[in-house]
Amino acid sequence: MMPRLPQSPNKLAPIPGQRLIDEQTLAMIVALASETIVLRARLDTCERLLIDAGLIAPDAIETYSPDATAQSQREGLRLASMRKIFRALHESAEAELANIPDAHGAVT
Amino acid sequence: MSGMNEYRGSEGAHPMIANPSHDEMVEQLFVRDLKVMVSQQLEPVQRKIANALTAGEDDITTNDPVGDLRDRMMRFETFKTWLSLKRESQRQLWSAVGTSVTRQADDLAARAAAAPPLGSLTLDPAFQAPAYIVDADIHLMPGGNALDDGGVLQGAVMDRGGAVFMLGRNGGMLNDLRGHTALAHSRTRFLDLEPARILDLGCGIGTSTVPATAWFPQAEVHGVDVGASMLRYAHARARHLGAAVHFSQQSAERTSFPDASFDIVYSCVVLHETSQAGAANILAESRRLLRPGGVAVHLEVPLLHTFGELWEEVSAELEAEFNNEPYWRGALSADYDALMRTAGFTDVQTGYQSTAFGGPASPLSFGPTSNGVFRSWFVTSGRA
Repeated sequence: MMPRLPQSPNKLAPIPGQRLIDEQTLAMIVALASETIVLRARLDTCERLLIDAGLIAPDAIETYSPDATAQSQREGLRLASMRKIFRALHESAEAELANIPDAHGAVT
Repeated sequence: MSGMNEYRGSEGAHPMIANPSHDEMVEQLFVRDLKVMVSQQLEPVQRKIANALTAGEDDITTNDPVGDLRDRMMRFETFKTWLSLKRESQRQLWSAVGTSVTRQADDLAARAAAAPPLGSLTLDPAFQAPAYIVDADIHLMPGGNALDDGGVLQGAVMDRGGAVFMLGRNGGMLNDLRGHTALAHSRTRFLDLEPARILDLGCGIGTSTVPATAWFPQAEVHGVDVGASMLRYAHARARHLGAAVHFSQQSAERTSFPDASFDIVYSCVVLHETSQAGAANILAESRRLLRPGGVAVHLEVPLLHTFGELWEEVSAELEAEFNNEPYWRGALSADYDALMRTAGFTDVQTGYQSTAFGGPASPLSFGPTSNGVFRSWFVTSGRA
């Protein structure tokens, strides 16, 4: 659906000493916090509805024990998320490493 | 804290309020909580830093103590982060509310159309809003107060956003305590007044206008504002609340009403959003519109001289600059007694009216000192 209202206010005074990237990063973190909190609340609603409907026991999630296949798949999900989130740290460390001259003065 | 909560059915202060979905409600509660965190947890630390910097500096050594303290605060990274987060929380508010309102566009239009026929709405397609409205979107609300989206959406954003922003301190989802307080003031000072016609200048979505129909049920009530969407929403909202109000799109600085055609003319937190010239024009217009013996009441946020620490002034100045209220300082340091007399009023008084938490049944109290933010409001009043 196309927005029917404007998304940005007319006039945003620059905050002295703040770099654009600082404000952008902060805005993204706030937005992600919002998304996470909404997601957590929705999950909580689902759990409560499932328990209220008698579909799962109140302790079903805490006592859930994934089998070997599920554990492997869940580890894959965890690591994929970490690669995605921390990609920039790996990239910049590798770039710095690549810029260190080797013993002969050449860049490795 | 009153105001929003997750209990379904608690939203319905009136049928026009945009009701959030499950996820939208959590998002709005997050924004509310973020704003509380910024103002009640992060800001107090900045206040302590400011007080530590100025401790022992009893002698004023600068012509601009506020600017000087602000410059010194800028050296602290956490000050800039706090300021950025404060503004981002405001942007998130409008984003969250705007998304929820836009999703309900068709439903809101249907609800507006279904409102009982009461009062009237007069829009002016050729209307040009003043520069102080269009040059910067007040409170960072995208599109600003004068936006015409063709329907009621911007009004719905203003209403829901105000309810989130006010954190329930201004009358919950009705957001109407300022209107009640201005009218309580007219009753406090001018008990003999039996108004036949009442006008609310800069009425927005009518939150402060509808209370006039409760205080003075026999009176004909009017409201003017610059925003077409605001006014469509205001009219629908008032009709659903059973209030007959006549809304029209006009500048509060110069309306089309004849001289001496009202008994009460009032405004609520309008002057500090206008320019100095605009504020003077609004006071003069309120005088022109009053019948002999009629009463003007202009309600504002607490004036500068009631501020305690220097930090409060710095904080308020930052709010003005980064939340797009550029005329805040001029309005809150003005000599309203002199301005009202210049506008031609007699029997002028300025002071603080206790918030009318109980509507027309509220105890009436007016005096020279503030009871604190949201517990009382600055008012200036006079007779024509």
